[in-house]
Amino acid sequence: MADDIVDVLIIGSGASGAAVAWRLADTRMRIVCMEQGDWTNPSDYPSTRRSWEAEAAASASPSPNIRKGRDDYPINEDDSPISIVNYNGVGGSTVLYSAHFPRFHPSDFRVRTLDGVADDWPLDYATLEPYFALNDRNIGVSGLSGDPAMPPHDLPLPPIPLGKMGETIARGFNRLGWHWWPSDSAIITRDYEGREACANLGPCHSGCAKGAKSSADITYWPMARRAGVELRTRCRVSEILVDDNDMATGVVYFDEHGVEHRQRAEVVILACNGVGTPRLLLNSRSARFPDGLANRSGLVGKNLMLHPWGLISGAFEEQLDSHYGPQGCCLLSKQFYETDPGRDFVRGYNMQITRGTGPVMTARQGLTRGTIPWGAAHHAEFARRYDRTINIGICCEDLPEEHNCVTLDPTLTDSSGIPAPRISYRMSDNSKRMMQHSFEKGTEVLKAAGALDIRTEGPMRYAGWHLLGTARMGLDPTRSVVNDWGRSHDVRNLFIVDGSVFVTSGGVNPTSTIQAVALYIADAMKARLANLFD
Amino acid sequence: MSTPELSPSISFPGNRASGNGLSPIQLATLEVVLDLIVPPSEDGRMPGATEVGVPAYLLAYCADALPILRNELDQLDAQAQAGCGQPFAALGAGDRQVLVDAMRSQDSDFMSRLALETVTCYYQHDRVLAALGMEVRSPAPIGFKVISGDLMLLAPVRKRGKMYRDA
Repeated sequence: MADDIVDVLIIGSGASGAAVAWRLADTRMRIVCMEQGDWTNPSDYPSTRRSWEAEAAASASPSPNIRKGRDDYPINEDDSPISIVNYNGVGGSTVLYSAHFPRFHPSDFRVRTLDGVADDWPLDYATLEPYFALNDRNIGVSGLSGDPAMPPHDLPLPPIPLGKMGETIARGFNRLGWHWWPSDSAIITRDYEGREACANLGPCHSGCAKGAKSSADITYWPMARRAGVELRTRCRVSEILVDDNDMATGVVYFDEHGVEHRQRAEVVILACNGVGTPRLLLNSRSARFPDGLANRSGLVGKNLMLHPWGLISGAFEEQLDSHYGPQGCCLLSKQFYETDPGRDFVRGYNMQITRGTGPVMTARQGLTRGTIPWGAAHHAEFARRYDRTINIGICCEDLPEEHNCVTLDPTLTDSSGIPAPRISYRMSDNSKRMMQHSFEKGTEVLKAAGALDIRTEGPMRYAGWHLLGTARMGLDPTRSVVNDWGRSHDVRNLFIVDGSVFVTSGGVNPTSTIQAVALYIADAMKARLANLFD
Repeated sequence: MSTPELSPSISFPGNRASGNGLSPIQLATLEVVLDLIVPPSEDGRMPGATEVGVPAYLLAYCADALPILRNELDQLDAQAQAGCGQPFAALGAGDRQVLVDAMRSQDSDFMSRLALETVTCYYQHDRVLAALGMEVRSPAPIGFKVISGDLMLLAPVRKRGKMYRDA
């Protein structure tokens, strides 16, 4: 092993790795982040070309198994109805996310106490609230204060436009007396911190060429690098090393030429998401950790939560300009978010109103679903849907179950020869009942808004964005992987800051909460620097 | 993000592409199948799929689909020869439709990939986008105007009061 020792080695440069890097930078410690992918150039995103829709389904697909990028690792998901989607590069999956940015609710941290299921988190909303706010300011989040479904919070930027489509569905919610609110969105609606405001390009989920989407590569990374953090790209970590005292000593990694190196470190922080983190821990077997590093609880890789995703689509008589605007962000409804004992499921779901698709995806989806046929009727059926469709995405809270897990595939490897992850996942009966309820309620609100033709679909296959729970946080070392401030119970200089540490999944997109937790862990570490390993 | 730019009306030579990867008979069959997938609209406003360079698109960007496409085109032609004694491309429009419908009823996946790639090419073409009333350009850098919407619609929601649970 080389003599060079860094103080802190962060593995992964996505939402959580970028946030923790910035927050630790003022300690003046020597901090290095290793990222297996590379920088992306916004001027190269699909929306700069006429082929933007075709590319979004191929080379810019969120599925690494479809995208097959140079820096991607394959994932065996044959045993799951939901495919994993991610991005491997600076900024991680925020490069391709839709930037829908709701916070978890206070009740999401107390599910055992309030609803008698799963486990409570060892921290609460009030503890995280300052970090939510700090994160919103750091990256630039838009929204509207006063949502009765959330504790009061102010956002630095005004909400994204509802558009004619948003007004139409809002009237539907109002006719039923249901909740709705403009979405908190990690998209800047005014010029902010040197970045230009959103111009409604549309396809945020294939990268924002405008730089208005607050992805980690253009928000936290410039801040962290200015503060002295070193970011090394094309470094793929294959193993975390430990000594006889159960302390991490560094990592083994491959550089861009495939040459193996070692890097020593005093502290190792994992930020590789809910699939990449357990994969690396399980690949770090040793005599002292024969079942994988930091896995004496046996819970590394278990309790995978993915948020089963439903879709209800409604076609309207009138033209709605529905494909204009940030694709994943418009408004949401928390009408069915909190537990209601009168329903046949516990916990709840968020309704995320998303924009309609462009012409290519409208036609492709229509062919696949059988709504747009071959032949003479093609044009009429296309016209009935294009620019006249409102989609409701359903984010079902997924409760932790140990049989839903990430393991190592016995034969599949990435291009460096590192064993690939294998996903085993079953949608629970509770989630199935929840999704069925959402189909009925989504249909009801679309009808109330005036939709003529309504279709339901779910769980959606390529919707495994939210990778949570596989190295859960807790106070009991036999029931959790890390403690209440992200430190491994088994390896006292190993920390985890990504969605792996989530105890439960809430029913909303988790990136806001992931970044708040990462900032909180960074502050917890800073407060204990003198006795961090005690 | 490495897919080369697809600008059908600029880069593609149209459907006169030679048989790079497809035989003349396969190309002739493909030509008439394309019109079964997306024919010209009756009012003449929308072109048919044969007019937007689908064969060139398939050859340039869908190499992985070509083996199954060749096989499907050959199957169609063989069925036409067996049933009618003529190449598929020589059949009348009604007979073509009957034959394709029969093949698709036996196998719902028959030519499904071709149909997907056909509409992918079709709905990127200048003529098609213009006919739909769209600006013929990429979304960036200009973007689009979206109305803010009437936030007064939130009045009844605001009146509801607190909905979340304390914890």
